[in-house]
Amino acid sequence: MTDRGSRIALPAEAAPAARETPAQRFALMLSRVWAWLFLGAMTLFFVVAVPLVSGGDVNFLTVRNSQNILVAIIPVLLLGLGQTFVIISAGIDLSVGWVMSLGSVLSALALRSAFDSGAPLFPSVVVGLIAGVAGAAAVGLVNGVIIAKLKVPAFIVTLGTSFIVRGVAYLMSENTTVIGLPAGVRAYGNDALLYYIHGEGGGAYFLNRPDVGGELLRRMDTILPYPVVATAFVVAYAMFLLGKTQFGRHTYAIGGSMEAAVRTGIPVDRHIIKVYMLSAATAGMAGFLSTLRFTAGSAVIGDPLLLSSIAAVIIGGVSMFGGAGTVVGTVIGALIVAVLTTGLVMLNVEAFWQFIVVGTVVIVAVLIDQSRDLITGRHRGGPAT
Amino acid sequence: MLRKPAFFAVVAGLALAMASPGAEAAGKIKIGFLPGVVDPFYQVMQLGVEAAAKDIGADVVTQIPPTWGVDVQTPILDSMVARGDLAYIITAPTDKDQMVGPLKAAADAGIKVITVDTFLGDGDYVNGPVKFPLSYIGSDNTEGGRIAARGLAKAIGGKGTVYINSTNPNVSSVEGREIGFKEAMAKEYPNIKVLGPDYNLDDANKAAQQTAATLQRNPDLAGVFGTNVFSAQGAGTAVVNAGLGGHVQVVAYDATQLAIELMNKGVVTLVLAQKPFDMGYMAVMFAAADAAGVTSLPRRVETGFAIIDKNNVTDPAIARFIYKVPAK
Amino acid sequence: MTEPLLSVRNITKRFGGLVAVNNVSFEISRGEVFGLLGDNAAGKSTLIKCISGVYHADEGEIFFEGERAQFAHPIDARRHGVETIYQDLALANNLDVSANIFLGREVKKRYFGGLIHTLDNKTMLRESRQTLDSLQIQFPTLTQPIENLSGGQRQAVAIARAVYWEAKLVIMDEPTNNLGVPEQKKVLELIRRLRDQGVPVILITHILPDVFAVTDRLIVMHRGRKVAEDHRRDEHRGTRAVHGRRPRRRERGRAGAARTERRRPPREREPLNLGPGGRSRTQVRAPRGGLASMFSGPDLRRAPPLSVGVVQSQTCTRRQTPCTRPWVQ
Repeated sequence: MTDRGSRIALPAEAAPAARETPAQRFALMLSRVWAWLFLGAMTLFFVVAVPLVSGGDVNFLTVRNSQNILVAIIPVLLLGLGQTFVIISAGIDLSVGWVMSLGSVLSALALRSAFDSGAPLFPSVVVGLIAGVAGAAAVGLVNGVIIAKLKVPAFIVTLGTSFIVRGVAYLMSENTTVIGLPAGVRAYGNDALLYYIHGEGGGAYFLNRPDVGGELLRRMDTILPYPVVATAFVVAYAMFLLGKTQFGRHTYAIGGSMEAAVRTGIPVDRHIIKVYMLSAATAGMAGFLSTLRFTAGSAVIGDPLLLSSIAAVIIGGVSMFGGAGTVVGTVIGALIVAVLTTGLVMLNVEAFWQFIVVGTVVIVAVLIDQSRDLITGRHRGGPAT
Repeated sequence: MLRKPAFFAVVAGLALAMASPGAEAAGKIKIGFLPGVVDPFYQVMQLGVEAAAKDIGADVVTQIPPTWGVDVQTPILDSMVARGDLAYIITAPTDKDQMVGPLKAAADAGIKVITVDTFLGDGDYVNGPVKFPLSYIGSDNTEGGRIAARGLAKAIGGKGTVYINSTNPNVSSVEGREIGFKEAMAKEYPNIKVLGPDYNLDDANKAAQQTAATLQRNPDLAGVFGTNVFSAQGAGTAVVNAGLGGHVQVVAYDATQLAIELMNKGVVTLVLAQKPFDMGYMAVMFAAADAAGVTSLPRRVETGFAIIDKNNVTDPAIARFIYKVPAK
Repeated sequence: MTEPLLSVRNITKRFGGLVAVNNVSFEISRGEVFGLLGDNAAGKSTLIKCISGVYHADEGEIFFEGERAQFAHPIDARRHGVETIYQDLALANNLDVSANIFLGREVKKRYFGGLIHTLDNKTMLRESRQTLDSLQIQFPTLTQPIENLSGGQRQAVAIARAVYWEAKLVIMDEPTNNLGVPEQKKVLELIRRLRDQGVPVILITHILPDVFAVTDRLIVMHRGRKVAEDHRRDEHRGTRAVHGRRPRRRERGRAGAARTERRRPPREREPLNLGPGGRSRTQVRAPRGGLASMFSGPDLRRAPPLSVGVVQSQTCTRRQTPCTRPWVQ
C-alpha cells in the first residue's frame, strides 16, 4: 500500500500521445483552422484572379459583392445552424429543405390573409413570421417525438417527414407558388440598415432608403439588408446557446455519449425533441426570409438547399458522428460555399464547376478531420486503455 | 407589337447601322446572358447571342443556371450585377413575379434588362405593372397554345380526353401556352375534355411519370400536350413506354431532336418550333441599338413559330428551326 | 455496532421463468468496502440494479439509512446518495473533466433576474479541482476532452464525480477490468480513500487479487443465490468466519469442487483454526486440480470465478501491510 501522504498522480503515461513533436503540434493546429485558411486563400484567389480574367473591369472586392455574399448565405446558414445542433447530438435532419419550403408557403399565406383582412403591413409580416416558424417547429416536434420516443433512426424519420412536408407545401400553395402579397413586403426583405452613395452628391443614409434615381441610384450600395441583420442575431444566439448554456452542453453530451447522458439524469428525450424543433424553426425562418425577399411563397425553394447545408456544416468541422462542432465553423463552411459560387460566376466559369469544387472540399474536410488521429498516432474511438 | 416582316426589316436596318463606322463610337459593350436553365432551347438561343455578339463586336458573359428556379437564378444575377462591367443583361426570368425585385435592382444599378422567352408582370412593358425592361422578345405563347390545341384536336378527331403536362407555374411562357390551349379547346372543341396541367418542374423523368400515371388512370386518353422541351420529351417517352405510340397523339412544344425523332416514329403528331436563335440574336442587337442611342426600340417582339409535322419535317426551310446544337 | 447503512433482505428478482436473484441478504456499514463476487450470470449485476433502482425486486426489502427504500428510478437512487459506476463509466469523451463531473447537474449563473442562464464554468472547474485534490488525484489538465485519458484516469473521474455529489454509497461494477496493473493499483487506492472518507463501496469483481487488496467483507453469488459470505472485519480481530452453504447436489459440477465443507447458519461466527503465528491461511478444502491450483498459481486473474468462501489471514485487514502473496500488489 502506498503511504497515505502521497498523491495519486495519474499522469498521462498510459495515453500514447504524451509528447507531440513540434511538427505534429503544427499539423494538429493546422487541422483545426484549415477551414479559415481555405476561406482566406480562396478569397485571395478570387480577388486576384477576377480582375485578371476580366481585363481589369471587374473587381471581386467590392461592397456590393460582399453584401451579395452575405445575402446569398442566409438560407444555407440558417439551415446549417439548426443542422449543427442536430448533428452534434449525433442525429441528422434531412427534412430541413422542405421545411423551409413549408415555412415560406405558410408565412406567405398567413401574411396575405392577415393583410387582406385589414391588418396593417407590419403586423401582417409578424403574423407571417410566426406562422412560418411555428408551422416549421411543429414538424420538428413530430420528428423529435418519433426519434426520441419511438426510437426510430433519425435518418429514416426525417427522410419520411421531408416527403410529407413537401406534399403539404405543394398542397397549401397554389401550384407551388403563393403570390398576391402586398408590395410593401419587398421592403422588409430587401431594404437595409445603411445606404451609401459613392461620389459626388452622395452620402450615407441610415435606415431610410433615399429616394433617388438615375445616376445617384446607380452609385448606391445597399449595406446590411434586414435579412442579413436578422440572420446575424440568430447566429449570435446560436453561438451563445451552443457554447455557453446548459442546453448546448447537454447537446454535446448526448452526441458524445448517449449512455452517459441518460445515466447522469439529462432529460435526453425532451432534449432531442427540442433540438429537432430548433432545427425546423431555423428552416422555417429561412423560408420566411425567402418569402420576404421574393415577395412570394415558394414550395420548391428549399429542395436544393438541404445538401448544401450539410456540406457547409461538414466543411465547418462538425463531426458526422456527433459530439463535436461549433457555430462559427458552420458560418465558415457556408461562407466558403457562397464565396466559391460568387467567385466562379465572376470568373465567368460554368456554374457546374461549383458542384465539383464543393463536393471536393467536403471530402477534404472529412479527411482532415480523420487525419488528426493519423497525425498523433492515436486510435480514436477504441476502448480506453 | 411587331409582326414578322416588319421586325426583320428593323433588325436588318439595325445590323446595317452597326456595321457602319459610326457605331464603333458607342464602344465595346458588355452584355450578360442569363437564360433559364440548361436545355436545347436556350442553347440555341445562346448560339444566336454569340453570333450577334461576333457580328457587332460585343462581349458576352454567359451564365446558365444548372436548375430552374428563382433561388438559383437570383444569386447568379446578383453576382453578374456586382461585376460592375455589364451594361445589359439578357435574361429569361424564371418567375414573372418573383424575379421583378432582383431584376429591378439590376436596373437600379444601371444595367438595362432585356427579357427573352419569358416576361415579367404581364409582358406589357408600356402599360403594364412592370415597365423597366427594355423589351420582351419571345414567342406569342398564347397563340402557340391555340395552335397546339387545334393541331391536337384534329389529330384525335375532334373529341376525347387530352392532358397537359407543363413545367413550372408562374412562368409566362408555359403559362401562356396552357391558357391558349385551354381557351382554344373550350371555344372551338367543346367535346374535348382537358386534364391537367401537372408540373414536372423541368424534370423529364417526372414528366414521364406524371404522364404514365395519367395514362393509367384514363385508359381512353387520346392526346397529350407537352408544353416545353422537358414536358414533351417526358410525355413522349411515357407514351412509348406504355406501348401507345401512335394511339395517343402527342403535340410537343419545342423542336428538340428527341421530339423530332419521336415524330418520325409516329409518337408525336405535331411539333411547334420556336425561334430561340432569333430571340438571342435580336436581343443583342437591341442592346447594341440602345447603346448607340436608339430610343424607338419596340417594347415587345413576337418571334413566331414553325409548325412541324410529318409532311414538312424534311423541308429544309422548316427543318432549320429544329433545335440543333453543334458539338463543341 | 452502528446501524448498517444498507440492509438488503431476502431480495428476489425474476425475469419470466428465470430467477436471477434468489433470496439474497447482506448488510453494509459506513466506511467499508464490500466485495460482490460471482460467476458471469451469477446475478451480481441484477442485484445491484435492484439496489440502484434500475429494477424493482419482486420480493424482499431494501433499507437504506434505516428507512425502507424503493427507488423508482436510478436518478431517484442517486438523489438519495446511491451512485453506481458501471463498466462504461457513463463519461462523455468529448467533454472535459469538470464537465463530466457536473454532467447533468451543471452549475448555472443567472442574469437579468433569472431570464438568462449560462454555465458557470469557473465554479465547476474550481469545485472539480477541490474534489480531485481531496482524493489526491492529479491530472495534467482539467480542460481537455477526456477521450485522451487512460482507463485509470477515467475511473478517477467517475469516482470523483461520485465523491463530489456526496454519494453515501458507491457501487462499482468491475472497475479494474480493462486496466493495466499500475492503473489497477491506483484505482484500488482510490477505493480505499473513499472508504477512508466514510463512503462505503460495493465492489463487483471477479478479480480475486482486488478482493484481497481492498475488500473488508464479501459475499459470493452463484446462480442467483448467496453461497458464501466472509466477514473479514469484525469485533474480534483475528477471527474469521466463512459462512457458506452446501449447494444442492445438482449445482455441483466443476464448481462443486469448491464448496465449503461445513454448513453454517448465516451470521453465526466461528473462530477458525489459526496456525501458529497468526499468519497461516486456511483454505477451503478442495480437491486438487480444481481450486487448489487456483490459489497456488500466480495469475489469479485467469481463473474462472467460482463461488467460494475464502479465508484470509489477519494480515490482510485494512490496517495492516499487504499480504505476502505474489499476485497481490
